[in-house]
Amino acid sequence: MIPTSPDDRDFPWWLVAVVAIGLYVFWQVLTVEEYSRVLNTLQRGIWVTIYVTLVSYTMACVLGLLLAMAALSRFLILRQVARFYVEVVRGIPIIVLLLYVAFVLAPAMVAAWNWIAESIGFEPVRTRDFSLLWRAVIALTIAYSSFLAEVFRAGLQSVDQGQIEAAEALGLNRWQRFRFIVFPQALRMILPPLGNDFVAMVKDSSLVSVLGVTDVTQLGKVTAAGNFRYFETYNVVALVYLTITISLSLALRKFEKRMRSR
Amino acid sequence: MRLLSILAAMMLATSAVADGHLPDLEGREIVVVTENAYPPLQFIDGNGDAVGWEYDAMAEIAGRLNATVTYENISWDAMIPAVSEGQFDLGMTGITIREDRAEVVDFSDKYMTSEMVMLVRGDEERFTDAAGFAADEDLLMAAQPGTTPFYVGVYDVLDGDEANPRIKLMETFGATVQALRAGDVDLVLTDGTAGNGYVEASDGGLKIIGEKLGTEDFGFIFPKGSDLVEPINAAIANMEADGTIEALNTKWFLEYKLGE
Repeated sequence: MIPTSPDDRDFPWWLVAVVAIGLYVFWQVLTVEEYSRVLNTLQRGIWVTIYVTLVSYTMACVLGLLLAMAALSRFLILRQVARFYVEVVRGIPIIVLLLYVAFVLAPAMVAAWNWIAESIGFEPVRTRDFSLLWRAVIALTIAYSSFLAEVFRAGLQSVDQGQIEAAEALGLNRWQRFRFIVFPQALRMILPPLGNDFVAMVKDSSLVSVLGVTDVTQLGKVTAAGNFRYFETYNVVALVYLTITISLSLALRKFEKRMRSR
Repeated sequence: MRLLSILAAMMLATSAVADGHLPDLEGREIVVVTENAYPPLQFIDGNGDAVGWEYDAMAEIAGRLNATVTYENISWDAMIPAVSEGQFDLGMTGITIREDRAEVVDFSDKYMTSEMVMLVRGDEERFTDAAGFAADEDLLMAAQPGTTPFYVGVYDVLDGDEANPRIKLMETFGATVQALRAGDVDLVLTDGTAGNGYVEASDGGLKIIGEKLGTEDFGFIFPKGSDLVEPINAAIANMEADGTIEALNTKWFLEYKLGE
């Protein structure tokens, strides 16, 4: 069903090269003190990067699926609202979205909450209680939900109309048709681009450093500011990202192959 | 453990008596925000710990005023707006006291005076001072917009035009130094300490030339109308008077070896 491109048959020399360079840098980390100090500092950032990526991606998947369902809904208003959201969010660069959420939307949300809280007798919250990490997560969620909504929509629409008619004829209701007929088939179409977007999210999570969230990139920035060694620091930063993204890509490719052969 | 806490309590008690004339904040929490990107004021050391002159000073201030400090991180670009909005109680990152900034935040009294030096490539021979740099139209400098080196570059070195194309703007200070090393620009201004750090780590790739340029006073920033300005000014004056500030200068500017 999914075409295999000819270079799939090539021996992965590129991977050999990447692993060799990666091992060389890693060897440097183990033996050269400047390098090992950098990795030591970046360590905490790795968890922040993974946390931001996982939480944002999970929330974006849920929101994206809801948006895709709205986009395919029977109701005009839901379709138009979903379309409006996707088009607007897709048209804004993620970094702009990030600054907008952090410094415009978050204070506005706090003000709105306080306005409601006052009338029902809850404690008001302060803008500072809304951490920059969560503002970053919300911005990434909003950005990626629009990409993922399109992925889900395309996947759901790819299911043959005849299948749905057959299910209708068998007396399955709307939910059953979605759950047992449409979704399982759509999933095979959806999974590869979903995986690509996950890898892209790992990289785009580095944008949160503009807010000062201490992910790998931000810690790289402050490490280089303190040790005056850009070459060593950014070698390690790049190594950390490559280790995550390439191993994820390989795992996803393997998974896709298994799905295809089923 | 118990003994330790008793000892700590006794020490707290004695310092409270010794500084009896200072305001007592009664354990109040002060949320301090910084970026950790300005050695030796605040930075990440080789062990991954956030340390520096300002951390030591803030701990001392908190001890004298009986306050507790919690730290948050934010990038420099976002710091003044965030403090101005009251998201944090205090911002520290070697911020130059300037009138335009004082319109949106309150400043403490100065706790440090910094002088700018001229950082150039190790083999630079075309100019030896600020006037020589300004005279040659081909020479370029790099700076982080809105920072002290940028303003000193515009007003003390060049012609006072903030849009002068001879200043290349970059997002971080480190990037300006990389641009210098790569040959994209010919001059970067920095305060003496960071300048020496870069020169020492560069193996002859960089050097400092010329006279020291404009002096800048650093202060902490607060949201407008903050009731912390007075007590913290009192603590700074107190630390200035008893030599604590001088001791911190010796520790971080003379004894501490950056980049090791």
